Order: sequence, then C-alpha cells, then structure tokens
Amino acid sequence: MNTVTGSRKLTIARAMAEATAQEMRQDPSVFVMGEDVGPLGGVFGNTRGLHEEFGSERVRDTPISETAFIGAAVGAASDGMRPIVELMFVDFFGVCMDAIYNLMAKNTYFSGGKVKVPMVLMTSTGGGYSDAGQHSQCLYGTFAHLPGMKVVVPSNAYDAKGLMTAAIRDDNPVVFMYHKSLQGMGWLGTEKGATVATPEEPYTVEIGKASVVKEGQDLTLVSLGAGVHHCLRAAKALGEEGFDAEVVDLRSLVPLDRETVRASVAKTGRLIVVDEDYHSYGVSGEIIASVAEHDPACLKAAPRRVAYPDIPIPFAPTMEQWALPNADKIVAAFHQMLHNN
Amino acid sequence: MTTPITVPENLWDGDGEGVITAWLVDDGGQVNQGDLVAEVMVEKAQYEIEAPVSGVLTIAKQEDEVVAKGTSIASLET
Repeated sequence: MNTVTGSRKLTIARAMAEATAQEMRQDPSVFVMGEDVGPLGGVFGNTRGLHEEFGSERVRDTPISETAFIGAAVGAASDGMRPIVELMFVDFFGVCMDAIYNLMAKNTYFSGGKVKVPMVLMTSTGGGYSDAGQHSQCLYGTFAHLPGMKVVVPSNAYDAKGLMTAAIRDDNPVVFMYHKSLQGMGWLGTEKGATVATPEEPYTVEIGKASVVKEGQDLTLVSLGAGVHHCLRAAKALGEEGFDAEVVDLRSLVPLDRETVRASVAKTGRLIVVDEDYHSYGVSGEIIASVAEHDPACLKAAPRRVAYPDIPIPFAPTMEQWALPNADKIVAAFHQMLHNN
Repeated sequence: MTTPITVPENLWDGDGEGVITAWLVDDGGQVNQGDLVAEVMVEKAQYEIEAPVSGVLTIAKQEDEVVAKGTSIASLET
C-alpha cells in the first residue's frame, strides 16, 4: 500500500491484523493462537494475511478448547513469549475464566512481580445481527471488574491499530474487546463510522486515555465501542434541535480515564452513559459513580443511562433491536432529562 | 485517460451477487496500482478489489450497493 498519507482507510479487522503483523516482524516472541486464526484469517477478519506471512508455528490454529489454549498462552507469556490469543466470542469466557482471571490476571501479583504476563486476549463482543444470547453479549463490565488485567474497547480503526500495538508491547495482560459490528464484515451489520484513515507506520494509542470525539457545551455522552457511533448520531440529531452534545469515547476501561469524563461533565452539567453491556452492575453505573462521588454539585440533572436491559439477548431481530441502545433512545433520554428539571 | 475498476470475473466462485461493504479510499483520492480500494461481501465472505492502475478515484457504486462480476464500480483518472 503506497497510498498518499492520511487517505488510506482501514476496517478495524484490517487495523488489528496490520498492527499484529508489524509487531510480529520486529519481535520474534509475538505469536497468535486461536480457533480459525490461521489460513481462514479469523472469523471476524482480524488475523487475515498473518498465516501466509508467518506460517503455522507463529499463527496457530487450535482445537475448540479455550481452557487449553488460553491456559497455554498464560504459560507461554509467563515464560517470556508475547502471545496474542483469541477467545472467538466473549460469551464463552465461562469455559476458560480460571485461566483468565485466576492465572493471567494474578500471576504477576502472586509472584511478587517476578513473573510478567505480557499477553493479549482478543475477543469479539456485541450483537445487532441476530446471533442470540450466547453470541451477542458485551460483558465489558465483567472483565473490567476483575483486577489485574487491562481492558480496551476501540470504536474505530485508528484507535484499534494503536491500542493493539500498545497491547502487544505492554508487559501486562490486556483484554482487547472488539465489537463485531465495527469489524467491517458486512454480515455483522457493519458500522461505517469505524472505517477511518489509519497510518501505515506503527504507532500506539495510550491505554487508559479517553478521547473527546466531539466537543459540546450542553450535555456529555459517554460510551465505548459501537455505542460511540450511536452517540455521534444522537449528537447530530440534538444539534438540529439546538443542543450541543459532547461525546467521550472511553477507549479503555482499565485503566479508566475518569478525569476526562469528570472534566466534560464539569463543563456540561449533564451526563448520559450509553453502554451495550447489561444495565446493572456495569460500566454505566461506574461512570456515573465516578462523577457523583467526585463532585455531585456539577450535575444540573440526574445522570441517565441507555444500556442493555437486564435480560438474555433475544434472537428475534425485532426484539433484539428493541433492546439495543440506539440514537433515538439517547435523544429520548435527554428530552426526559430536560423534562424532569 | 480513464480506466474503469470492475469486479473481476474470477473474484469468487459461482455467479452470486455481492455487496460493497467498504470503500477504503475516499472519492477523489489518489491511489497507486495494486492498492486495496474496496471490499465486497459475497455470502459472508469478504473479497478485495485492487486498483488496476494508479490514478484519482471516482466512485460509481456506493457502500451497500449490490454488484455482480463485471460491474463497473469506479474509475481511475490517470
């Protein structure tokens, strides 16, 4: 690719593959493991071209035994390698969570810092394409809740490449949660806004820094992943009504950039958190608490959340769409916020 | 000179139609021969469209439009 700098766009899937390939070229300890990550290039396209370039030793197709290969990745990472391992759907964390939260996340602490676990666990999240209750969850809060691992959630290809490079180079375990609708795979209900200009040279996006993707004065919308695009559409609709919304893309849940959220709400006085993860005990509550326990006086109205209802994700397309966050629900939440004041 | 970008006859098996899922260069952008410019999805599989020559891109078929083998989807002004 020799396109003029700044004009080349990538899907998140390609951005992840490019970051991985660039790190594999300069660091022989980086390798990839998972189901269908080899010649197929990943069910969600994020390992395309890697097997062809690096071969079966460094891009390893595994059996459907997440316990075995994620456990193996923890062992390899503890012994000096830098594995990138894929849990194809985050929904299946149940079969391998011991390797993730008792080993990957705790080995460094248990060893008094003598053992590092520099691995990336990448996993697909989210729904919207009628894949039902075991293939559509986000579970951001579940992973972010457990100490010992970083958690990132990109909303566009630029951030995805920079966060992936940062994750591979990080000496801590990083869970890289990518939303299926942002991958650029048409059958997953592709969100066009995720395919953006992406530099060819390697670069990092700092893990733990949120991004103000749209500035505004009247309202702060905080989200992550696919939700950022709902917020941008809502901000546009509110703009036509004369309200100026700011949109904060968290990008990283651990560490969480509370300062950027607080600074935004200090300016606008109004907060709506948009999260495709379940409503209760999750990201949305954490964000609101981060503001309220810091300075409740900055709030002109009670914060609101547009999150997934606490129900298993329905298969029926109309039911699933009814449950998912979208721009209309965000606009309605803001109207209600004004009405209640 | 104007060179069309058409969907190659051998891009996928069979005569099924595809959908453009992404343009990876903006309309009016400069591309070089061999650059990946678009992705087409056929039955859940993604296929790549490359620039046949270098030039300035004019997009004719937008994202989400249905295309078949041989469809002209854009042109390059050299």
